[in-house]
Amino acid sequence: MQVLANTARANALRSSIRSFASSAARSQAAPLEKPVLNKEFKIYRWNPDEPAKKPTLQTYTIDLNQTGPMVLDALIKIKNEIDPTLTFRRSCREGICGSCAMNIDGQNTLACLCRIDRKTSKDTKIYPLPHMYIVKDLVPDMTLFYKQYKSIKPYLQNDNPPEKGEFLQSQEDRKKLDGLYECILCACCSTSCPSYWWNQDEYLGPATLMQAYRWIADSRDSYSSQRKDQLQNEMSMYRCHTIFNCARTCPKGLNPAAAIAKIKLELAAE
Amino acid sequence: MASSMLLRSTLPRSFASATGRNVLRSALQAIYSGTVNDPTTFPPSSKTHGSYHWAFERLLAASLVPMTTAAFVTTGSSYPVLDGLLGISLVMHSHIGFDSMVVDYLHKRKFPIIGPAMTWILRTATVGVLVGVYQFNTNDIGLTELIAKVWTA
Repeated sequence: MQVLANTARANALRSSIRSFASSAARSQAAPLEKPVLNKEFKIYRWNPDEPAKKPTLQTYTIDLNQTGPMVLDALIKIKNEIDPTLTFRRSCREGICGSCAMNIDGQNTLACLCRIDRKTSKDTKIYPLPHMYIVKDLVPDMTLFYKQYKSIKPYLQNDNPPEKGEFLQSQEDRKKLDGLYECILCACCSTSCPSYWWNQDEYLGPATLMQAYRWIADSRDSYSSQRKDQLQNEMSMYRCHTIFNCARTCPKGLNPAAAIAKIKLELAAE
Repeated sequence: MASSMLLRSTLPRSFASATGRNVLRSALQAIYSGTVNDPTTFPPSSKTHGSYHWAFERLLAASLVPMTTAAFVTTGSSYPVLDGLLGISLVMHSHIGFDSMVVDYLHKRKFPIIGPAMTWILRTATVGVLVGVYQFNTNDIGLTELIAKVWTA
C-alpha cells in the first residue's frame, strides 16, 4: 500500500513538470546513438609569427555524425573543439558574403556551400586560394584583388542624370545584367585562372573583368567607351586565353568567361 | 608598361615596430604601389596591342582552315600563290602563338634580360623561317607538295 502511494505521488509530480514527450514511454526512450564516423581533414597551416617555419598540412579527425553537412561546419567544429589557433574567414554561412572562399580538394569554392564528402576512406584537403599572399592559415591577402576591382570604377557614371526621379531601364536592358550582378567577389574564379597566377599584377582577372562588363553592359551608364578604352592593351584583359577555369569553379554558377568574350567582341566590333 | 607592383620584399618595410616579430613578418608580404585604397593603374591604351591584335589573331586562325583545305584538294605546284599564302599565314600564326607565350611567362617587367632576348630570338626565327619558306617555295617543290610527299612516304 505504501509503495503504491509513493508511485502515485511520483507520477503526479512528474506530470506537473512540463514535458515535450507525449507519453511516458517516449520520455524514457534513450536517444538514438549515431555511429562514430571519423574523417580526416588535412588543413594548410602557416603562422606569420613563425615565418621561418614552412607551411604544413595539419591533420584533424572529427566525427562527421556530430558535425554539420558543410565543410565550413567542420572548420568551425575544429576551431571550437580541437584547435582554436586555426584561422579562416567566414561570415554568412550561406554563400552570399564570399568570405570563406578556399581550395577544397583541389577546387576553389566556398566552404559554406561545399558538402563534406562522407567517404571516410579519403581525407579532405583544404588549402587557401592558390597563388595569393597568405596572411595566416586559410586567410589570403585580398588587397590587390580589391585594388583591381576599384580600378574599373564599379559604380554608375552618367553625366546626364534624369531631371527628376530615377534612371529608367527597359526590361530587356535589365536582363543584360542577369548573371553579372550576382557576383559576390569571392575571388574563386580569379585565383583559379592560370593567366591570373602568372600575371596577377597586370591582368585584371575574371572577377574584375566580369564586373567591368557589368558596367559596360548597363544601359544607364554613359561611360562605356571610356571603360572599354581602358582595356585596350596587352595585359589588362587580353591575357585571358579562354581557359574556362573561372566558369567551372564559380560557386555561384556564373560565367565570367562569357562576359570576357562579350567584352572582346564589343572591342573588336568598335 | 607599368612596372611590377607585386614584388617580394627583401628588406623589412618598417623598422619602427617595437617587436622583432613584426619586422620579420613584413619581409613576407607583398608591396603595393600607393596605399591599399588606391586603385591599380592601366597601361596606356593602344588598339594595336588590344582589339586589332586580337581580331587579326582570330581572323588569321579562322582563315587557316579553308586555306589548309584548299591545299589538300589542290597541288602546290599548280597554285603557287596559295602555297605562298599558306606559308606566310602558318608562320605568322605560330609567331603570334609563341609571342603570346613570351608575354605570359617571360614578360620583360619580370625578366628584364631574358624577356626581350626571347622576343628578338623569336622575331629572328620567324624572319628566318619566312625566308626559308620563300626559298623552298620558289626553288624547290613547295610546302604543299612536301607535306603530301611526307604524308605518303
